[in-house]
Amino acid sequence: MTWRAALLLAAGALTLPLWPSPFVGVLVMTGGVLLLVLVDRLCAVPPAALTAEREGDRTVRLGGTATVALRLGNTSGRTLRAQVRDAWVPSAGASPDVPPQRIVTVAPDDTLVLPTRLTPTRRGDRPALTLTVRSYGPLRLAFRQRSGRPATPPWTLRVLPRFDSRRHLPEKLARLRIIDGTQVTRGRGQGTEFDTLREYVVGDDVRSIDWRASARQADVLVRTWRPERDRRLVCVLDTGRTSAVRVGDEPRLDTAIDAALLLTALAVRAGDRVDLLAADTAVRATMTGSGRPALLTRVVHALAPLQPALVETNFELIASEILRRQRQRSLVVLFTALEAGALGEGLLPVLPRLAARHRVVIAAVHDPVLTAMTTGTPARPGDAYAAAAGWRALAERDRVRTALTRHGVTVVDAPAGALAPRLADTYLRLKAQAQL
Amino acid sequence: MSAAARTVTPPAPRPAAARPGSAPKRRRRWHRLVIPLGLVATLITTTLVAQALDRPDADDPGYLSPVEAGEHGGSRLAEALTRRGGTVARETDVRAALLTARTGAPTTLFVPAPDLLRSETLSRLSRLPAGTRVVLVDPSVRVLHAAGLPVEQHGRRWATKVVGPQANGRPCPLDELRPVRRAAAQRQRYTSDTEIPLDLCFSAGLARLPGTVDTVLVGADDPFRNDRIGEHDNQALATALLGVHTRVVWLDLEGPEPPPPTPSSRPPVTDSSTEGPGSETTPADGTAQGRPSRPGDSSDDRRPADSDDGPAPNPLWGAFPLWFWAMLVQLALALLLAALWRARRLGPPAPEPLPVAVRSAETALGRARLYQRAGARGPAGRTLRTAALARLLPWLNLPAETPRDRVATAVAARTGGEPEQVEELLYGDDPATDQELLDLARSLDALTRAAAESPPEQTHGVTPTRTEPTEGEPR
Repeated sequence: MTWRAALLLAAGALTLPLWPSPFVGVLVMTGGVLLLVLVDRLCAVPPAALTAEREGDRTVRLGGTATVALRLGNTSGRTLRAQVRDAWVPSAGASPDVPPQRIVTVAPDDTLVLPTRLTPTRRGDRPALTLTVRSYGPLRLAFRQRSGRPATPPWTLRVLPRFDSRRHLPEKLARLRIIDGTQVTRGRGQGTEFDTLREYVVGDDVRSIDWRASARQADVLVRTWRPERDRRLVCVLDTGRTSAVRVGDEPRLDTAIDAALLLTALAVRAGDRVDLLAADTAVRATMTGSGRPALLTRVVHALAPLQPALVETNFELIASEILRRQRQRSLVVLFTALEAGALGEGLLPVLPRLAARHRVVIAAVHDPVLTAMTTGTPARPGDAYAAAAGWRALAERDRVRTALTRHGVTVVDAPAGALAPRLADTYLRLKAQAQL
Repeated sequence: MSAAARTVTPPAPRPAAARPGSAPKRRRRWHRLVIPLGLVATLITTTLVAQALDRPDADDPGYLSPVEAGEHGGSRLAEALTRRGGTVARETDVRAALLTARTGAPTTLFVPAPDLLRSETLSRLSRLPAGTRVVLVDPSVRVLHAAGLPVEQHGRRWATKVVGPQANGRPCPLDELRPVRRAAAQRQRYTSDTEIPLDLCFSAGLARLPGTVDTVLVGADDPFRNDRIGEHDNQALATALLGVHTRVVWLDLEGPEPPPPTPSSRPPVTDSSTEGPGSETTPADGTAQGRPSRPGDSSDDRRPADSDDGPAPNPLWGAFPLWFWAMLVQLALALLLAALWRARRLGPPAPEPLPVAVRSAETALGRARLYQRAGARGPAGRTLRTAALARLLPWLNLPAETPRDRVATAVAARTGGEPEQVEELLYGDDPATDQELLDLARSLDALTRAAAESPPEQTHGVTPTRTEPTEGEPR
């Protein structure tokens, strides 16, 4: 029953002084209202006679707005008057065009489209939870509502990472083209892979003259080299406890995802193969880059649902997974944090095995709070203690970095905003020096 | 209105939704057990406390008084006795009551609250004239000992039970109780502690001790109270018990009996005489002979006219017209409808697992607080000095093992200070107070800033960069 039934009964109570026998009046009016409620309820469209479907966007980039529409069909022969609540998780930022308080009307054998605009506040999969339909009778004295009727049509909106470092991509691609030799700006001869023979021009390195080819031709020919193609790049994301630390206003994992996306975009353009592995105590996501055109999209989709977990990362698992998957020598980029406890006990024991087979780059995000603790002029005794603790943390970090460097690992340690371009620079440098 | 099941499981195929879903289920199951049991426990406790509070005490004002018309009074019993043709003499003084009982024809001495009597008085009860009947209501162990009655208490019930007159399978030996069929008399039960046989009735809830003084113990006060006297054969029991003689002396004490005014006038009576009923009665002291009994005091003064009709109806009922109450009922029903309307929610709340969030530099900040709380000025100062040296030495192109004085000289030359001061600053004693530590931190900060800003005095080609292949800015 609804507020109307209660109001009807309360209004009837005001007529009681006029009744000859008030308590009989109470009985008559209560019975009458209950009878009306019962009749109204019987006239309401049963929820089982409704159908619900969804259509709309499957993916949206973080910060964008998606629209998912609910199609509510009325298969009964009566007009449906109903309140419809389509519940999404709170972080999906759902705002229905028709608020759930409003009563919508659907004619018999008709379909109503109820669009919902979603502006998600977090990356990952945002599911629709529950659809609730409250079907009113013609008098709106009573309603029918059953959980699970009509069944909630499942829908999951995948919120993709924002990929802010996209803006660095043109500059890095231009540098890649220079290295690649497609743009003659600084010359070639950087790589080790034979490209073509061309005529000697003044200024070429005489060591690159191909005498055998020159003997067959009238001209002097030089060999040109280009960087290797079809190298392998493995992005490894640590989703353990250190990735949950909020640096700036986003977790470390999001910064790592951003940098991994830039690296993937660059590597795809450079003709390299990109594999992906995300793990903490278990493997969270894997992807093998074979289909080249859609590789970036696939990486984005593989990375989008990753969430940090409050567990210690099992680097033993990560190393064995990499060694099992990658037979060839590849560039392994490990996104983690330079923390003495996590890396010293987990990574350093397995690093020799990994570094013997692959080229390892460790990408870590700075903590700006630590920098602020050590560089500011102390004003209170607490600041002096904080500076001491900060210096100690930095010293530990330097020790870890030294230990990693001893194994031939390149460490990229940068603030959150600069990690992606620095990592791209490292990749380009390694590529130019043919160290992949 | 819909009676649909409320347990809505989110149908979205989320693996994370399974874990939060199991915890509320267990909690609900836990509630399912605790709520009914707790409700029952609360009900039992409330009942017991209310029963204990509601039971009258012997020292309540008006308890079993012949002039008290309340539910714990005895006015109806007194009235019934008067109607039978007897006289009820209400005595509020013990000495007067004993005196009245001794004079004239054999009487019945009714003591509703024997616990209020002193031990000396109780021992004197056995010396009343032969044929006197003494009725004690629920006497305690102290009373039984003081009165020298060879009786033991034997089990007590929470509430009075309605029983027939027979005890231990034998009929009641008291002839006057023959018309009584069932009465609420079994609460405190009695048994004999010697081989003297007791006359037990009502499942040992009533005991008569034979002797010159006819002492009757009643374990329950229900047959005498105004509120229960009308039930079963309670009135018949009470009137038969008290009405063996036409004269009833009703000892109506308002509080514990005061000590005798002249302690030297009477030698203390020993309580050890177990032969109470058989001992010879002492002659009464004639000084109180002239005290008149007050039969007119009995029951007519304060008794309301219609005590038999039960409690009067609440006057509030008549204060308002009938439609007012009907309107209240209907408005309550409307409220009930509104509550039913609000009780059905439009779908369950939408749950979502929250993402884990760890604040940045949590460990470093925590360690700083630990340093401060422990007062670790020495380690903090050493860390600051080591860090400052680690920054200064590469700038000055000095190896790590440089002696102190050379470092101090080089730093002083770079920043323009005294070498002794610089050496004291870089290699001095540990700070003793927080202020010293703060000064040290400030001086080191100023020193490193000055060293970083001033140009290097020797223009080596070597720039102070790190040797390890590290990308990105060091910090």
